Amino acid sequence: MNEDIIVLTDVVLITVIVQRGVADTVVRAAQKAGAQGATIFYARGTGVRQRHLGVLGVAVNAEKEVVYIVASSDQADRIFERIFVAAKLDTPGMGMIYMTHLEKMATHVPHDLIARMGNHE
Amino acid sequence: MAKKLRYGDYLGAVRHRQRKLSYNEVVAHTRLSPRKTRLRMLDLYRLLGPYVGVRFVEQLVAVVPLAAFLVVFEFGVLHSEVHGWESIFLGMTAVICGLMLFMEGVKRGLMPFSENIGYTMPGKFSTPKVLGVAFVLGVMATLAEPAIGALKAAGSLVSRDATPYLHLMLNDRSDFLVLAVGFGVGLAVLTGMLRFIFGWRLKSLIIATLVPALSMTLLLSVDNRLEPIIGLAWDCGAVTTGPVTVPLVLAIGIGVSAATSRGDNPLSGFGIVTLASLFPPIAVMSLGLALSWGNFPVLEAASSLAVEPAWFERAPFDDIIAALRAILPLTLFLWLVQHWWLKSPVKEGKILVYGITLAVMGMMIFNVGLDYGLTPLGGQAGGMVPAAFAQFSSVQGSPLYPYWAGIGIALAFALLLGFGATVAEPALNAMGVTVQNLTDGAFTKKRLIHAVAAGVGLGVALGVAKVIFSIPMVMLIIPAYLLTLALTVISSEEYVNLAWDSAGVTTGPVTVPLVLALGLGLGKAVGAQDGFGILAMASVGPILSVLLTGMWIRWRVKQTSAIVERMNHG
Repeated sequence: MNEDIIVLTDVVLITVIVQRGVADTVVRAAQKAGAQGATIFYARGTGVRQRHLGVLGVAVNAEKEVVYIVASSDQADRIFERIFVAAKLDTPGMGMIYMTHLEKMATHVPHDLIARMGNHE
Repeated sequence: MAKKLRYGDYLGAVRHRQRKLSYNEVVAHTRLSPRKTRLRMLDLYRLLGPYVGVRFVEQLVAVVPLAAFLVVFEFGVLHSEVHGWESIFLGMTAVICGLMLFMEGVKRGLMPFSENIGYTMPGKFSTPKVLGVAFVLGVMATLAEPAIGALKAAGSLVSRDATPYLHLMLNDRSDFLVLAVGFGVGLAVLTGMLRFIFGWRLKSLIIATLVPALSMTLLLSVDNRLEPIIGLAWDCGAVTTGPVTVPLVLAIGIGVSAATSRGDNPLSGFGIVTLASLFPPIAVMSLGLALSWGNFPVLEAASSLAVEPAWFERAPFDDIIAALRAILPLTLFLWLVQHWWLKSPVKEGKILVYGITLAVMGMMIFNVGLDYGLTPLGGQAGGMVPAAFAQFSSVQGSPLYPYWAGIGIALAFALLLGFGATVAEPALNAMGVTVQNLTDGAFTKKRLIHAVAAGVGLGVALGVAKVIFSIPMVMLIIPAYLLTLALTVISSEEYVNLAWDSAGVTTGPVTVPLVLALGLGLGKAVGAQDGFGILAMASVGPILSVLLTGMWIRWRVKQTSAIVERMNHG
């Protein structure tokens, strides 16, 4: 294959760590805000806030779900906000969200789209 | 083109402005003045809402279908209404809430101890000490079992004149009865541990236990004062294997077997439950014999009934004290072992205290619910069943159906009740997954659940038939267990493990009181001597059905391989 690999730039990775069972809410909120897809994996861990909760800490599940969402940098802030609200992250013990710039990413990009946009070098 | 936009989404998107704050500063501040997080009411709601909700629904699902089935049967088939349904409804709510609190409490307060002890003890202690701890734990876990309260509650439904020793054991000497059952479970745990250490086969153990158990049954059946105890004794085996004993004992058992036995045997967790349902009947029958030989004054208690009960014997104080007496000794024992003997520090003390508080509260509420919800509901349903086939004063136009049709309806009701209660049992579902993996898919999960449920259903129906026709318990127990004995001898070890344990898994804290009360109510209505024995039959049923299914599967596997071989040769 002598075709070029299309490498996408201006890409952001949003990572959300929430209690087991909340990931679906997160993904739904992200998709509503324009995210294309999401990857969920299972993990376990406890946070700083959880230690400060005292006995109430039992209400926080140590089993966690980690959601990876790759988004364009234009959409990212909106997705970030929507997830923060939907997952109620302002309550201690509910988890956290962070966002990092990605240098580049590659995946399937529709051919007609590339043709329409022309070749940026 | 107009595009729809929810106003709430719009506001949510617009409202939040981001303000930046350096994490370095946050860390520096918290280090300077560490303080507890302040929670808003909203935070509390968000944290506790799902926490409580999930656990509530779990118990709701276990209780409601069973209760609904009983009510529908009473209403639809027997055309009678539930008396005092308000208090029964409140009682059932108490059962659900109590179970929810209790299970969470056991998980938070008792399980950490048990797991820790199970894993560290075998390395630090000599074998006799480990066995001693296991024995005491078995006894104490039984006392904490919620269903054991059902035995005492059932005692109030037994008449003294017809069955003096049964009445004595259930009312005035109920402490002896509970201790005997606990002793049986303790011995079972002890034997289970020895089995791990010496690698005994469960098959030989079962045979060695069944023979004395059956001969004692025969011995008791000769004395007609002791004969009614047989039903109770075999029922006790089903009562003991509940949500406290099984996980606590298994946690220690698995730890010990991992430390002592050679290699990881996936079946090593099995077996203890089996023994824990065979030893208590022997212990209870021995107690009956001891009471009769000691010539206990049977009627002495009559005078004490007239005395006004002291404040601690009245509801709800008696429930509170019973709950404390059940949980606290067990907790204290676990704590002492961990603190004084193992000298390992108790982690997260606050959460342990929280768990133990929950367990005690849960048990109290469950006991109240038992008295006002489960026992009356089961008793009423049982008391109404005879209206289907016999003349009955409280039901208009009884008998409602021709005699044999009515009997058929009563037995079908029992069958459905047993089948339905078992299919919904979450523990059985978990066991089904294990079994499917262990047998490489030969014994599928669905087949196991259906086999066990059918066995329980048939068992309950047989038990109900026993009460209706006043069949002596010996006539059912002896042939049923002889049959299991024969099947056990010819079955392979893995299916023996499986079948005998499936009997213990099926009898949860909701089914046991309900079925006990049902049997007693039924017994009273038809004028039978005692209403025990239904649970006992419900535990033999699945053993037989699973053993038979196992043999059928083996036979079929052989058939298919024979056909394949013939095709290869031909």
